[in-house]
Amino acid sequence: MLESSISLREAFNFYPWLLTTHVLFTSWFAGLIIMMDLRLAGIGNLSTPFSQTQKRLFPWQMATMGLSSLTGLLLFYGDPMRFYPSFYFWLKLTLMALAGVNAVVFHMTVYEQALSRIEAKLTEARSWVSWDFSGVVPFEARVAGFLSLVLWASVIITGRMIAYSALVPQWWLDLGLNN
Amino acid sequence: MDLLPFFQWMGSIPLSTYVLGHTWPAPIVQVIHLVAVAVFVGALIVVDMRLLGRGFTARPLADVARDAQPWLIGAFILLFITGLPSLTSTALKQYYSPFFWWKMEALLLGVIFTFTVRRKIIQSDEARLGSVWPKVVGIMSIAIWTSVTIGARLIGLMG
Repeated sequence: MLESSISLREAFNFYPWLLTTHVLFTSWFAGLIIMMDLRLAGIGNLSTPFSQTQKRLFPWQMATMGLSSLTGLLLFYGDPMRFYPSFYFWLKLTLMALAGVNAVVFHMTVYEQALSRIEAKLTEARSWVSWDFSGVVPFEARVAGFLSLVLWASVIITGRMIAYSALVPQWWLDLGLNN
Repeated sequence: MDLLPFFQWMGSIPLSTYVLGHTWPAPIVQVIHLVAVAVFVGALIVVDMRLLGRGFTARPLADVARDAQPWLIGAFILLFITGLPSLTSTALKQYYSPFFWWKMEALLLGVIFTFTVRRKIIQSDEARLGSVWPKVVGIMSIAIWTSVTIGARLIGLMG
């Protein structure tokens, strides 16, 4: 048991404020991600080109993700044994990893190709330019957008569910992580 | 005016007894409420950022605001619907929580501000707004709704 971990948890009202800050930063981060994903999925923010929702929101998404992660890490550090046996905590981390993989794969495939086509001024660039400006988004991009929406919503859901440590599958409880 | 009898009544309606008598309604309602918070914050913040000269600056303010509007309104309706059972099933806890009243006062202020001052600004011709008012409105919007979030989260944590 690290002493600073215990004092962090027991500091007067610090833990509730830390959790509140985490919720606040996470809502900003998720909100910014959702606004970009709605555009990518072709269902929202259609008057803004996708490339702009991506480029212009990216620094803010990274900043709020950093703040959200930092407060999340502190929450974990202050009470690790609350999270270690938690079904929803591990599920949440897995979903976050999947959301990250989805974003990276989209960038390295559909998005990179589209951007390089524009730079190379290839004839296919016309279709990229048109989907950037119109609501007609290619199938692969829509899939990435919907996947991201579903994954990040699930991250929020599982994050809230950590409080319900009894509402988990029996096989998880049988693992005996609480002991 | 003492609202205690009203809160006692809310705690006794069938909706409340149903939520309290079952395991899953409360968490399901809470997680939907939270996802709606994220959509609401997103729809709010892209416009507030635009007012502050950040984010979707290549598009006219009114276009950005028009795109965000259905998500803002839709999320707000969802927040209201999911907020009701959460409120009635824990009515007395809410009544005695200073943070609940903090949240409700900030919420009232937020709704009035968003649908009057902010609405007028985001629908205006940008060229005639100058550079100061949009920034003031953007910062006030973020501040008010942030205080709603903070109050809301503290109800469950500090009573």
